[in-house]
Amino acid sequence: MPDLTVKERGAGTSPASRPSLPLRIGRALTPLLWLGPSLVLIAVVVLWPVIEMIRTSLQKISSTGTTLGYRGGGNYTDLFGEDDLIPVVLRTLLWVGGIVIVTMTLSLALGQLLNARFPGRRVVRWAVIVPWAASVLMTALIWRWMLDNYSGIVNRLLLDLHVIDEPVNWLAHPTQAMFWMMWVAVFVSLPFTSFVILAGLQTIPADVYEAARVDGAGPFRTYFGITLPLLRPAVLIASIINVINVFNSFPIIWAMTGGGPGNKTDTTTTYMYKLAFYDQNVGESGAMAVVNFVLILVMVLLYLRAARWREEIR
Amino acid sequence: MKRHLMGVVAAGLTVALGVSGCGKGSSSSGGSDGKTIKFVAAIYDDNTKPYWDTLIKDFEAKNSGYKVNLEMVDWTQMDAKVKTYVQTKQVPDVLNYNAFSDFARDGLIYQASEVVSPATLSDFTPTFVQQAQYNGAQYGLPFISSARLLFYNKDLFEKAGITDPPATWDAVKTDAQKIKKTGAIGYGLPLGPEESQAEFYSWAMNNGGGWVDASGKWAINQKANVDTLDFLKDLNKSGLTQPNPESTDRKTVFNQFAQGKVGMAIGGPFTKAGFIDPVNKSLNFGVAPLPSKSGAEHNTLGVMDVLAAFKKDGGKNKEAIKKFLDFFYQKENTSKFLTTEGFLPVTKSAGDALSADPYMKQFVDALPTCKFAPTSNPAWSAVAGAVKQDLGTAAANEDPKKVLDKIQETAEKAG
Repeated sequence: MPDLTVKERGAGTSPASRPSLPLRIGRALTPLLWLGPSLVLIAVVVLWPVIEMIRTSLQKISSTGTTLGYRGGGNYTDLFGEDDLIPVVLRTLLWVGGIVIVTMTLSLALGQLLNARFPGRRVVRWAVIVPWAASVLMTALIWRWMLDNYSGIVNRLLLDLHVIDEPVNWLAHPTQAMFWMMWVAVFVSLPFTSFVILAGLQTIPADVYEAARVDGAGPFRTYFGITLPLLRPAVLIASIINVINVFNSFPIIWAMTGGGPGNKTDTTTTYMYKLAFYDQNVGESGAMAVVNFVLILVMVLLYLRAARWREEIR
Repeated sequence: MKRHLMGVVAAGLTVALGVSGCGKGSSSSGGSDGKTIKFVAAIYDDNTKPYWDTLIKDFEAKNSGYKVNLEMVDWTQMDAKVKTYVQTKQVPDVLNYNAFSDFARDGLIYQASEVVSPATLSDFTPTFVQQAQYNGAQYGLPFISSARLLFYNKDLFEKAGITDPPATWDAVKTDAQKIKKTGAIGYGLPLGPEESQAEFYSWAMNNGGGWVDASGKWAINQKANVDTLDFLKDLNKSGLTQPNPESTDRKTVFNQFAQGKVGMAIGGPFTKAGFIDPVNKSLNFGVAPLPSKSGAEHNTLGVMDVLAAFKKDGGKNKEAIKKFLDFFYQKENTSKFLTTEGFLPVTKSAGDALSADPYMKQFVDALPTCKFAPTSNPAWSAVAGAVKQDLGTAAANEDPKKVLDKIQETAEKAG
């Protein structure tokens, strides 16, 4: 009996004080059990396409889609030799900057409205969600027909109000077309953004406002001294996600102008598509995709730096 | 809460960046027993799918053991689909497309003689066989053809005091001016990205211009082409066309034409059934040869779509393809497709079936004077792509010569 106890104790304690090698490896790998699925997901959904994209950008691919081997940086040389590239990139920056700034400004106001108590608030909240629920392509197509030169309702309305004397072919003129497409992009970005802001507003504790009121702060002071600073995390997230979404936005431009006339309303995303399917140059299009990817990474990093997100996190 | 923020930012980035990567679709390949083939057909209109469904059912009933899997693809999706098929090695056995020569160049498709019987092969009209060749051998199987003529609104012509459709470019301009005075649009000019290469070539060929010179080299910025574009630009700038030709597609032009708001426009045999009838069945219009600069000779633009058969499984699919294609090219099956869709014949046997209709007869009669885009040149699809994107801008604010120079450069780069 005592022997047995000793034996048992011996068997139980010795590995605990000095674990065997396989067991140690096993313990080190245990976290993988929980991390594994997400690592696999990231590898398959994010890393693999990125590698595939970079590989494509280095290949010579014929117009049928047959891979003819590697051609080094040739696709990049071709891409940077395109006269249209610089205007397209500048237009993309304008497109992203304009849409995100207007969206954020409007959403801050909308979020405030949705947070206020008033009869029918539920209805208004639902109404704001609608453009989000509708497909972007559908929204873009509806706007295209509303802006049509011959039968568009926008022209009808402006003619009846005597704002214009004859129908305007809105989507045929690059400047006006860009303006309208940016408006549509703002329109479809508003719901998501204002709901993120609304969520942010609801996390601000009421006693902070109470303290401000006791100290005699006016509504203006309260907003800029309390609400806006405390909304920083929400604004940060909303603008980053918007920047990425707007940058990659394809359906609005494709449905409304197709990037035309010429390349005058193209962003890098639609230009990339045209390189592959109009110019039949998949390799160069791959190079554009890589440039696109780098551009967006740089933009997000610059933004995070400007917003000093590290301080925010710590 | 701050940890949460980090998590949300990371998740957001992951999702958003993941979306920007490209995905590859895959579809199951047909059985390798050699008796099941996959046929990818283009959607011409709503009648296309019912036609193929019936034909395939009929084929399978008459050839037991053989099976055809049909996949219908919209024209707007076709280019992307075809590239994906080839990239992922999931090519169909038979493809209905508007290009074949780059497939032939890359060694992806069979020669015509391998996949149809000699009887079928000899039934193709020689004009089309010539267009279906690559390096002297026939690869493409002519499928449908189409020709372009000048459509004009008889009521508007009468109102403007014009008796005959214009034969020369000068007449086009003066007639357009007269029509404009009645309040309508003189000439409907679609130079938007949809098919500007067809509209432009319809004019350029009647000025001695074209895509290539006599030796087959690209000659896109030749003087005849520049003059053509100058003429079209002048029509636009004189207010004789609809506003913004550079962003107008055929559909818009013919919608206005059908409403009686456009005097003249260039259309094909499908224009009546596809564009005019759905809007206004009683439109009083006529069809005339394409006007030329000199008025001496009138060429017509010919367009041909093809079927191509892909090499697969070491040639095991050849027999089934041959059975299916020979079945389709039987006179009654082919002519049924042509009449359903409003296209012109590519085979001698189906020719007569269409000449009975006086409207269609005008187009059938124009076929001998047809000029085609250089589809047997593998670089053509890249050139057509460049034309679609940029040509229209020359009718607006860009300099015609510069625009054509740029397209010429693209063409020379493509091969």
